[in-house]
Amino acid sequence: MQRLTARSLALLPLAFLAVLLAAPVLRLLAEGFGTGDLGGGVVPGEPLRWLALWQDDYLRWRVVWSFLQAAITCVLALLLGLPVAWVLARREFAGRALVLRLLMLPFVVPTLVAALGVLALWGPRGWLGAPLAEAGLSLEETPWLLLYGNLFFNLCLVVRAGVDALEQVSAPRVAAARTLGATPWRAFWRVEWPSIAPWLASALCLVFLYCFSGFGLALILGGQRYATVEVEIYTLVAYELALGPAGVLAVWMLGLTGAVALGYAWLERRLAAPGRVTPIARTRPRGALQWLAVWAAVAVLLLVCAAPLIAILGHAARAFWQGQGAAVLAEPETLAALWNTLRFTAMALTLATGLGLSHALAVRAIDSAGAVRGASAAQGAWALGWRTAAYLPFVVSPVTVAFGLLLLYPSWTASLALLIGAYALLAYPFVAKSLMAALDNLPANYAQAAATLGARPWRVLWRVTLPLVGKALRRGMAFAAATALGEFAVTLFLSRPEWTTLTTLIYQRLGRPGGANLDAALVLACVLMGLALLAFTLIEGPSDDADPATKTRVG
Amino acid sequence: MLELRDIHKQWDHRPLLAGVSLSVQAGETVALLGASGSGKSTLLKIAAGLEAPDAGTVWFDGVDITELPPEQRGFALMFQDFALFPHLNVVDNVAFGLVEQGVRKAQARERARTMLQRFGLGAHANSRVWTLSGGEQQRVALARALITQPRALLLDEPFSALDATLREQLRGEFRERIREAGIAAILVTHDEAEARAMAQRAWGMKDGALVPLW
Repeated sequence: MQRLTARSLALLPLAFLAVLLAAPVLRLLAEGFGTGDLGGGVVPGEPLRWLALWQDDYLRWRVVWSFLQAAITCVLALLLGLPVAWVLARREFAGRALVLRLLMLPFVVPTLVAALGVLALWGPRGWLGAPLAEAGLSLEETPWLLLYGNLFFNLCLVVRAGVDALEQVSAPRVAAARTLGATPWRAFWRVEWPSIAPWLASALCLVFLYCFSGFGLALILGGQRYATVEVEIYTLVAYELALGPAGVLAVWMLGLTGAVALGYAWLERRLAAPGRVTPIARTRPRGALQWLAVWAAVAVLLLVCAAPLIAILGHAARAFWQGQGAAVLAEPETLAALWNTLRFTAMALTLATGLGLSHALAVRAIDSAGAVRGASAAQGAWALGWRTAAYLPFVVSPVTVAFGLLLLYPSWTASLALLIGAYALLAYPFVAKSLMAALDNLPANYAQAAATLGARPWRVLWRVTLPLVGKALRRGMAFAAATALGEFAVTLFLSRPEWTTLTTLIYQRLGRPGGANLDAALVLACVLMGLALLAFTLIEGPSDDADPATKTRVG
Repeated sequence: MLELRDIHKQWDHRPLLAGVSLSVQAGETVALLGASGSGKSTLLKIAAGLEAPDAGTVWFDGVDITELPPEQRGFALMFQDFALFPHLNVVDNVAFGLVEQGVRKAQARERARTMLQRFGLGAHANSRVWTLSGGEQQRVALARALITQPRALLLDEPFSALDATLREQLRGEFRERIREAGIAAILVTHDEAEARAMAQRAWGMKDGALVPLW
């Protein structure tokens, strides 16, 4: 029965992943391996030509730069993020909880908004960029803008991972080290660092993946010289119709991101079930040096993570003050884009929620069946495989997905179903991931108690399981909604002109000449940011709504 | 009468239960004693229908119920950690099973309140379950189990989460309430004193088989 339930639950997401992810990726592989043409003449059936990528200076630079900018971001995020995380994990000060909550902000902000934020701050007309340009220090056509944009998103990720990791450090172990003669620095290096290093490595794998396969930031901030492979794939497909070289690049990207993702999965398995520890208690800062550390940490977060958003708000406020903001909002193309954004998000969110629920409940059913019967090696592999499958859309970049879909279903590319399907594909892992974690932490006893009290499986789900994981479901849906609202790459590939969304409209505005268009783009970015935050807040619900599933069960 | 006939169960390719048979009359409490991992909780879950045996059958009043899902068996299982639903308040926890039996919510709540009064928990009807003490949570769990008038009561180490004084106090209360209900009960425990206080008969679980103790 449980096996049957697991299979029927898995059917929907399995079919979805097969049609919208596996099949397009296989088609892409066929394109990349089969043609292997880099512009010097099509040589079908000569698979080794795909290695020629490394002989082409231009394309080689694209791959090398993609790798370099991701690696540099990792180093910068670690150097800046670890001290900030340490301060947040070890010091107690007013506003600390708020700072930790605000660290979620970049996860909700759409990529294009972040790109606009960087321009509003460091661009030629930006708050800091304009005076620099006047002094002869233009940041355009330098890697700085892209690296800064990368840091905006990823510093918060490293800080959060660092705080979580530092809270897992056992206080008695550090105390033991200190009583054995270690100075605070030696205790950190010899006891704390070995505990937190795997967590940080796992976070840095994610940072690398995000940056390496990033598209929106690189498209807007990279310029000609510092654009990444994903931007190159888009340019080759959309402007040059060179599908062969694009296929070769996509295959390389798939291989490289796959390798990093495997490293990430391996680290995550090592980090599973850390067990209970007595964490090191936070202390109030004492003395000027400790307060300086707190202020420095807050200043770093303000400069990297908050300043671009504040700059957008400032520019948009000025546009509204001058009357231009209201005019932009009243334009028919803005209203159409707003309507498209909202309805696409609603449709994608509905689909993503169904898929995420089915996926997570299937994982739960497989695990329960294994727990009841004693899992065999094959069942264990199936359980692990299905669990990992939820992360596949994270590994394959949106550009790769969109390009694969374009190749596989050319006659469907202007179909709304395919567009919404692609949106849902990118959004549903958030729902599945959040629910899987909540269901893993939910004792099996609740469902068993309900069953022995007469509740049928469907009633157990409705009356017990869903209410207990409701908060996790809402959180997953909030991230899914933010993803759908800010979706950009897939929309560029698969959308029709009348389906312009806020993100594509911002991109169009940026492509038009003149300061007025840049201001309009900033106003639209402000609207998109507000929309993302509103959707996130409304769906996630109040933060102080304690999760009932985590309540103490025995008083 | 609840009967388990020749129950076999493997765990991780090793026999956990090797042909276990047990019968419990209505109004009788039987204790199962054994070390952790000896299979006594698994036997209880097989009786409840939460796990399927590899071989063997479960009978109640002469009817084979092996294939019957747990919600249709009419047994109540009390868990070691009580498994009270944290998203529901005390009265809704107790009323849960009645609602599943098709009783209207308002009526189910009314009956649950009456039950809570009998258990000395009337003042806590609207409280959240995690605000109750361990002993109060235990009573709520028993009230929830008994309100549906189950055909059998299965107790999986119900007192192990409580301190010694409370454990002793509740044993007597539970014995009386089970006797009043007049149903078959199986008590799984590793505490012999508890088994002696609660049960008329006791079996030890060793190497997958039952050994009579008294």
